[in-house]
Amino acid sequence: MEHDSHQDEFKRDILIYFCIIALLGVIIFINHLHLKTLGIFLIVPVACIEAGILGYYFMHLMTKKKTVHLLLLLTVIVFLSLLFWPAWDVAYSPRTPSEFTIY
Amino acid sequence: MSQETEFIPYIVEPREDTGLYNAKLGIWLFLASEVMLFGSLFSAYILLRVGSFTWPVQSEIQNVPIGAINSIVLLSSSIFFIRAWVALKADDVAKYKRFMYLVILFAFIFLILKGVEYYQHFSHGEFPKTSVFLAIYFLMTGLHALHIIGGILVNSYYAGPGMYLRAQNKQWFINRVEVAGLYWHFVDLVWIFLFSTLYLL
Repeated sequence: MEHDSHQDEFKRDILIYFCIIALLGVIIFINHLHLKTLGIFLIVPVACIEAGILGYYFMHLMTKKKTVHLLLLLTVIVFLSLLFWPAWDVAYSPRTPSEFTIY
Repeated sequence: MSQETEFIPYIVEPREDTGLYNAKLGIWLFLASEVMLFGSLFSAYILLRVGSFTWPVQSEIQNVPIGAINSIVLLSSSIFFIRAWVALKADDVAKYKRFMYLVILFAFIFLILKGVEYYQHFSHGEFPKTSVFLAIYFLMTGLHALHIIGGILVNSYYAGPGMYLRAQNKQWFINRVEVAGLYWHFVDLVWIFLFSTLYLL
């Protein structure tokens, strides 16, 4: 019985593995299309889905307890706040082109 | 005044209040701090990029095929880790060791390929001081490589000398390997974002 359950889990893991590799192929394909800004808006969500699938299945987030979900939720909230606070500041700060640094 | 020392209870079964055993809660707290660490670097990357007039076409500078192969290498090592853990739970030590060695081998392959990439950059005169993009690229991938090296050390310990822990307490050892696996999957997860961000965008 346990052996069957392990076999099922193995089949699922292999399926997930190829699914993530397929998504990897998708983002490389999108990159080859040279879509510039649109490419960014396509690649980032696909990469998030890819990482999400990995976390959900390989890190067993689907079966984790509320404690872990709460911990991750708090982390994401703090991270996004810290990410968008300076981004908002940069976006709305009046700057002249000469203030930009050319890299 | 009496001094009492409080110890964190040593348990291998999930606690009633958290629903997790202590080591697992510990690793998730650690991974949360890692999210912040890499998150701050991703944040810096975004701010530097939106604040600059020009930015190189990353896929033209980077070796995308090697990056893609490295993604597959790390993903494969993740699968091997899961197989190793399942084998350990099933008391199949030989199989567990075999898969753990594969995990370590693939981690080394990842580092070698990363080294090839670095060598290509250096031979083209591309160093961290060359541009902001290269500075953040070397910083983020270098930090990630350090995590891979840390993972290799931990995994090597559990595949080799650390096996004696299994004789002391089987469940304890299984839990430790699971915790190491969570770290390994996290390192893989970070690479997915690094590859997308630093190679393709």
